[in-house]
Amino acid sequence: MKIEVSLPSLLADSAGGKRRFTVEADTLAGALAAMLEAHPLLRPHLYDEAMRTRKHVLIFFNDENVATLPDRNVRLKPGDRLQVVQAVSGG
Amino acid sequence: MPTKSKSRRVVLLVGTVKGAFLYHSDARRKKWTMTGPHLPGWEIYSLCGDPRRNRILAGTSSFVYGTTLRESSDLGKTWKQVKAGPAYSAESGFELKHIWQIVPGHPSEPGTWYAGVEEAGLFVSRDDGKTWQELDGLTKHPSRKLWFPGNGGMCLHTILVDPANPLRLWVAASAIGVFRSDDGGKTWETKNRGLPTVPTGQPAELEVGRCVHKMVLDPHRPGTLYQQFHGGVFRSDDAGDSWRSIAAGLPGNFGFPMVVTARGDVFIVPLHSDEQRFMAQGALKVYRTCDRGRTWRALARGLPTDPHYVGVLRDAMATDPLDPAGVYLGTTSGEVFASADNGDSWTRLPGNLPRITTVKTWVR
Repeated sequence: MKIEVSLPSLLADSAGGKRRFTVEADTLAGALAAMLEAHPLLRPHLYDEAMRTRKHVLIFFNDENVATLPDRNVRLKPGDRLQVVQAVSGG
Repeated sequence: MPTKSKSRRVVLLVGTVKGAFLYHSDARRKKWTMTGPHLPGWEIYSLCGDPRRNRILAGTSSFVYGTTLRESSDLGKTWKQVKAGPAYSAESGFELKHIWQIVPGHPSEPGTWYAGVEEAGLFVSRDDGKTWQELDGLTKHPSRKLWFPGNGGMCLHTILVDPANPLRLWVAASAIGVFRSDDGGKTWETKNRGLPTVPTGQPAELEVGRCVHKMVLDPHRPGTLYQQFHGGVFRSDDAGDSWRSIAAGLPGNFGFPMVVTARGDVFIVPLHSDEQRFMAQGALKVYRTCDRGRTWRALARGLPTDPHYVGVLRDAMATDPLDPAGVYLGTTSGEVFASADNGDSWTRLPGNLPRITTVKTWVR
């Protein structure tokens, strides 16, 4: 199953200049892994040294925050999306 | 020695909290054109023009997306992220917050680069910047548990390579102090004798707890170092083994940047005080010593006469290797000033930029 990933403009150069791309996976966990496999330069931007999602990074699976999802092995279906956004932080 | 060629191009690399800007001129350094913002949106804490591979290296940070190293081979038009840039291991327990300094290794080691980072640590590349490893002898120093951040963070902001000995390195970090290695960075000794402690709340007899703001190496006397300290200006004539004050004649003892020219002239920008980190009386002035700190001269010709309650950050000042030397500074309010005559007179370069974090020169 293909799933679309969208990035903030600041990270486009870590994904070959693209803000949108697709990866192929069966599950959400697979899609997250495939995203990093396709664009490994994203890893230090999204995750800290211990591979925890950075404090001000949000990764949405459709409309849900991946960090709060109980199960990342949920199977993908057509139209699913992954979106990386900056958490509202001050200002 | 100073470079005399008239045909060379001068690039002034200016990093800010929201991207990088480049100023371009010829060797006369009278007319400047600006390009940028490059890497807009990224905090740029370090820049380096690499004459070996004709590229610019940039330490890019974001409080959201972390810290990475990027390079450009077309004067900032395009950038690519270094795949295996400086990064602490998960086991280290340290966080890479900023890359504060990128410097080439000794000329006899053309593939070697060093990067100083926050949390304080030192990284090395032996393959011309493709892959980086921590020189963890520094963070494994017995004093590590006593390291304490300054107001700007626990940053390793100065890396100096002895031109006479590729195995001898100095680093300085705030508010920790000076370290020297005589084995290429494997092991380190603190070099803080004669420097006062700053009030970190720790015991005064510690070998660390010295808030070095910036340190330079005299190009003609490899054992002579100068530093702008949190509360003073100091010189060492014995490779850092001991320090003594050279602050007599200065209007104050607080400031951040310090640079040295190819002839050995040293420049600083004193601020009012620790509590009031801007120019005293709002007067933007640079101070120069041409006699190793015995006397200081205030330089202000061409600098603004209207009140400038600004600062100059520790890495926001630079010199070039031309003759006479160029001296450059960027302020916390985003103005860039340049001198093409060793600081005797100054002009303001075009543009009003974000807060300036770093200024470097690259003569091509």
